[in-house]
Amino acid sequence: MQTIQKELLVEASQETAFRVFTEKIDLWWPKSHHVGKTPVVESVLEPGARGRWFSRHEDGSEVNVGYVLIWDPYGRLVLVWQIDGNFQCDPQLHSEVEVTFQREGPVRTRVKLEHRDLEKLMGGKKVIEEMNEGWGYILELFKALTNKTETI
Amino acid sequence: MAIPKTDKAFDALGDRTRRTIFERLAGGPLSVVHIAEGLGVSRPAVSQHLKVLREAKLIAMTREGTRSIYRIDEEGIQALRDYLDGFWNVVLNRFRQVAEQTEKDKDTSHANHSKGTSR
Repeated sequence: MQTIQKELLVEASQETAFRVFTEKIDLWWPKSHHVGKTPVVESVLEPGARGRWFSRHEDGSEVNVGYVLIWDPYGRLVLVWQIDGNFQCDPQLHSEVEVTFQREGPVRTRVKLEHRDLEKLMGGKKVIEEMNEGWGYILELFKALTNKTETI
Repeated sequence: MAIPKTDKAFDALGDRTRRTIFERLAGGPLSVVHIAEGLGVSRPAVSQHLKVLREAKLIAMTREGTRSIYRIDEEGIQALRDYLDGFWNVVLNRFRQVAEQTEKDKDTSHANHSKGTSR
C-alpha cells in the first residue's frame, strides 16, 4: 500500500473547481449507503484550516469524517481522514488526502489528488478497525455507484 | 475479478477475532500455535477464521515440514489498494461533472444577467 495518485482535467475555472470540491461536496460525494446509521442528508466540508468534514444524518446526528489540514484557496487543499471503529472521529488516526488545483486556462483546471499514508491501513489496531468500518462505509458507496454505472 | 475478492476481504475483517489474527500476522509470519495463543477461542474456531482470511486473500499459508505457517498475502493487500483506487476514480468523476456543470451555469447566469441589464 503506497500512495494513490489521481489526475484529471476539469473544464472549469480554478476557483469553481476549488469551490465545488469544498463548498459543494454534498453534490458529488456519494451518500447512497451508510452502515448502521440513518441515511446521510448532507455532506459538509467547513471552509478554513481545522474546518470539519462530516455528514449530517436523518436523525439529526453528525458523523465526523475528518478535518481540513491545509486550506489554500484556490490552489491546494489537504484533508485528514479519521474514522475509528465506532464511527467516531479518532484524533490518533491520520490519513491524508491532498488535492491541488492548477490553472490551465480560464475554464480549465488540472486537479491532482494524492491519498497518502495508505500503508497505515495495514498498521495498528485502530487503523484496521477504521479500514473495516470507515472504508467499509466508503466501499459500500462505491459498490452502489459501480452497480449504477454497470446498468447504464 | 479483483472487486468481489476485495469485498470478501472487507467482510473477512468484519470479525474482531479475525482482525486480531490479521494484526498479529502483520507483525510477521506465525504458526497456528502462536496465532491461537491468548485468543480465547477453540482451535477449530481458529482454523475456521484462518480459512476465511485465506479465502479473502488477506493471508497465505505455506508448509514448513509438518507445520503450517501463515503470513500476510501481499497480493490481497494490493487488491484492497486497487479497490480504493477505483473508488477515487468514481468520486472524482462525479466531482468533475458537478464542477463543469457549475461553470456552465455560471456562464448562463452571466449571460442572463447581462441580457437583463441591457434591457
